[in-house]
Amino acid sequence: MLMATLIVFGLYVMIQIAYLFYPLFSVKKSENSVRLDKEKGISVIIPAFNEEQIILNSLQGIINLKYSNYEVIFVNDGSSDNTLSLLHSHLDLQPVELVPASKISHNEINQIYQSGISPKIYLIDKENGGKADALNAGIEYASKELIVTLDADSMLDPLSLCEVNSAFQKETVIAGGGLVQITQGFTGNFLYLRPSFKTKGIIRYQILQYLTAFYLHKMTQSKLKSIIVIAGAFGAFRKQVLFDVNGYRKTVGEDMDITLKIHRLIKTTRKYRKSTLAFIPRAICYTECPSTLKELVQQRIRWQKGFIDCVIHFRRDFFQKLGFRVSFMLLFEYLLLGTLNAFPTAMIPIMLLIYPDNYMVAVALFSTTAFLSIYQGFITLIVAARFGSKYSFKQLIKVLLFIPVETITYRLLGLVFVISGTIMYMVNKNSWHVTKRTGQNTVAPPNPVPAETSNSHVI
Amino acid sequence: MKKELLINLLFTFVFFFSFTMLITFFADDVTEALQYNDLFPKDENFELASCQQWTRDVRSFPLKDYEKAKSVPVLMYHRIIDEKDLDENLYEEDGSIVSTVVLKENFTEQMKLLKREEYTTLTLRELELFINGKLDVPKNSIVLTFDDGFKDNAYEAYPVLKENDFTAASFVITGSITKNEKDYKPGTFQYLSVHDLKNSCDVFEFESHTYNFHQRMKDGTPFLIGKTDKDAEADIRASIVNLDGSKQAFASPYGGFDDGNIQLFKDLGFNMAFTVVPGDVSRGTNIYEIPRKEIKPETTIEEYKQIIGLQ
Repeated sequence: MLMATLIVFGLYVMIQIAYLFYPLFSVKKSENSVRLDKEKGISVIIPAFNEEQIILNSLQGIINLKYSNYEVIFVNDGSSDNTLSLLHSHLDLQPVELVPASKISHNEINQIYQSGISPKIYLIDKENGGKADALNAGIEYASKELIVTLDADSMLDPLSLCEVNSAFQKETVIAGGGLVQITQGFTGNFLYLRPSFKTKGIIRYQILQYLTAFYLHKMTQSKLKSIIVIAGAFGAFRKQVLFDVNGYRKTVGEDMDITLKIHRLIKTTRKYRKSTLAFIPRAICYTECPSTLKELVQQRIRWQKGFIDCVIHFRRDFFQKLGFRVSFMLLFEYLLLGTLNAFPTAMIPIMLLIYPDNYMVAVALFSTTAFLSIYQGFITLIVAARFGSKYSFKQLIKVLLFIPVETITYRLLGLVFVISGTIMYMVNKNSWHVTKRTGQNTVAPPNPVPAETSNSHVI
Repeated sequence: MKKELLINLLFTFVFFFSFTMLITFFADDVTEALQYNDLFPKDENFELASCQQWTRDVRSFPLKDYEKAKSVPVLMYHRIIDEKDLDENLYEEDGSIVSTVVLKENFTEQMKLLKREEYTTLTLRELELFINGKLDVPKNSIVLTFDDGFKDNAYEAYPVLKENDFTAASFVITGSITKNEKDYKPGTFQYLSVHDLKNSCDVFEFESHTYNFHQRMKDGTPFLIGKTDKDAEADIRASIVNLDGSKQAFASPYGGFDDGNIQLFKDLGFNMAFTVVPGDVSRGTNIYEIPRKEIKPETTIEEYKQIIGLQ
C-alpha cells in the first residue's frame, strides 16, 4: 500500500517538475505581438442566460478590439431577467434574417437582431436550452471561419483576436484556448491594466491559481499535446471542426466535453490526424471570479461535476479513441490524483490518530507537495513577468508572502470542492446546482434549463 | 537574454538543491516505514539450516555426582546498548533506563564474570535433556536468551559472547526480520536483518517468538491470548517456516499464553516453551513453562551473582 502510494507520488512529482521547468525554459521575454495583415474571420459567440448584471462588461472588450474581420453574436438563452432589454437599449437592435448552416440542432429561435450602432454585433434570441444549446445556435448562424466562445462576464483584451488569428495561421491548429485572467487582479483603465494584489484572500488564491494553471500547467500540457479542457470562458475553434464533432453536448462541463470530442476527432479521423490544440498565452480575456467562499464552492462543485460527467461519458474512449497522452493526463492527473486521491488525503489526519507510526511519511509527502507548489508559485511569477505581467516591487513582496500561506490554507479547499462535487454528482447526477445571480428576476420560465453561461470551467 | 538564462539556471539549481535536501531529510523515515510495513514473507526461510547445525549437537559432560547441576539459571535479555548511544527514547519518564535495555558495559562485565567463574552456556537442546533427566550438566551451567531479535544483539552482544566462547538463544519475531540490509544505528529501534542472522548464527540459535504476534489487543491482552487459537496457529506456523522448520523452543511475547496455547505448542511439535516468570529450572520443571530471570538495566553485578546462584 505504502509502496503504491510512493510510486503514484513519484509520478505526481515528475509531472509537477515538468510543469516547473518546461515553461521556465521555453518562455522567453515577451516580444511584442505582431499584428498580421491577413485577418481570418472570427465569430465571437457570447451565450447569455440571466446576465443583466454583467452582460455589458463584455461589450467594453468588444468596443476596444484591435481587429476588423470579426462579428459578435450574443445568444440570449431565454433569459427571464432584463438581459434582452438591456442589450436592446444599448445596441439599437434591428430584426434581421440570417440563414443557418443547418448542421447542428438547437432550440427554437425567436428572432435574430443586428445592432444599428455597431453592425458587427448580432443577437440571437432563442428559447432556453442551456449553455451548450445556446453555443450551438450561435455556431449555426456564425458566418466566419473561426469561432471564439466567450463567457458573458468576460472581457476580451484588445489584442486577443490578433493573437488567435496568429495562432490559427498554422493549418494544423484546429482549436485553442486563450489565457483567462481575473479582473479583480488588475487595477487601472481597461486599456492600461496593471496587475494588483490588493484584494481579499479568496480572490488572491484564485489569481495565483489561474496564473499557475495557465502559465505552467496549460503551457506544459500543450507541449505534451494533452490539453484536456479549453476553457469555455475563452476558447477558439475552426467552425468546421465544431460541425464535425456535431456541436456541444448538453452537460454542465460542455467545454471539457468539446475538448475531448476534438481529441477524439483527431485520433479517429484521417482528415484531422495531424491536427493539434494550441494554448495561446498572449490571447487574454478578463473574467470576474467568485468573490465569496459560497460562490466559489458552488462554482468548483459544478466544475467537478462536469469533470466526473465527462469521465463517465468518455469511459469507453480512453486510450484507443482519445490517445495515450490525453487519457493519461485525464485519468492519472485529474481523476486519480485530483479526484480519487482527495478522499484518502482527507482521511490522513484521522489515519494519523489511529496509526501514528507512519506520521513522518505523511509529513514527508506533505512537505514535498508544499515545496513543489510554493516553487510553482515562484516560477509562475517569473513566467508571467516574461509575458509582461509584472507586479510592482511592493505588490510582489505581498504575493511572495502569500504563496506559502495559500499553499497550506486555501489550497486545502480544493479537497472540499472535489469531494463534495464528486459525491453530489453520484448522489444526484441530474440536478445541477446553479448559482443565482443577485437581482435576478424571480419569474422563471417554465422548466428552465439552469445553465449558467458565465464562469465556465476554466482550469 | 543572458540574464534570463542565468535566472533559469539559478532557479533550477536552487530547486534541485532544496529538493535533494528534502528527499535526503525524509529518506530514512520513508525507507523505515516501507520496511516497517513489509513483514518477512511467510513462505520463505532465513536459510540458516547449515549454520545452525551446531545447536543439534549435544555434548556429554563427564561429571562426578557433586559436579552435576541441580538447577540451571536461564537468563533473559532484550537489548544491549552502549551507554553513549542512549537517547531520550530509551529513558522512562522517571529518568530510569527502559527495562528491556542492558548497557553494553554491564553486559560485558557480566560475561567476564561468567567466564572467570568458568560457566558453560548450554544449548536449548541440552537444557531440554537436562530437564527431562537425560543429560547431566556441570554445576556452573547457564542458558542465555535474548528476546525479540533486536539488531543490537548482532552488533553489541555478539562480539562479547563470541570473545568469551559463549552461545545464546535468540527468540526472534520472524516477520520483523528485514530482508534488506540496513545500516546499524546504535540506540534506534531496529530488528535483525537476514544478513545479521547469518553473521551471528555461530553464536545464536534462533527460535520462534511468533511471526507477527508481538502485539497487544486494544485492552492490552497479548495477541496469543486475545486472538483465536486458529489465528495463533497460523502465525506460529509462519514463524516455523521462516526458521526452516526449527521447533526446538518457543517463547511467548510478553510471557502471555493460556492453556490453549500450551496445547498448541505441543501440537505444533515444539520441544519446549519459555515464560518470563522468574524461577529456577531443574529436573522436572514443566517443559512448556520454563521460567526465566530477566536481567534489567539496574541489575548490579552483586545482584547478578545472586541471580545466577553464585552466592
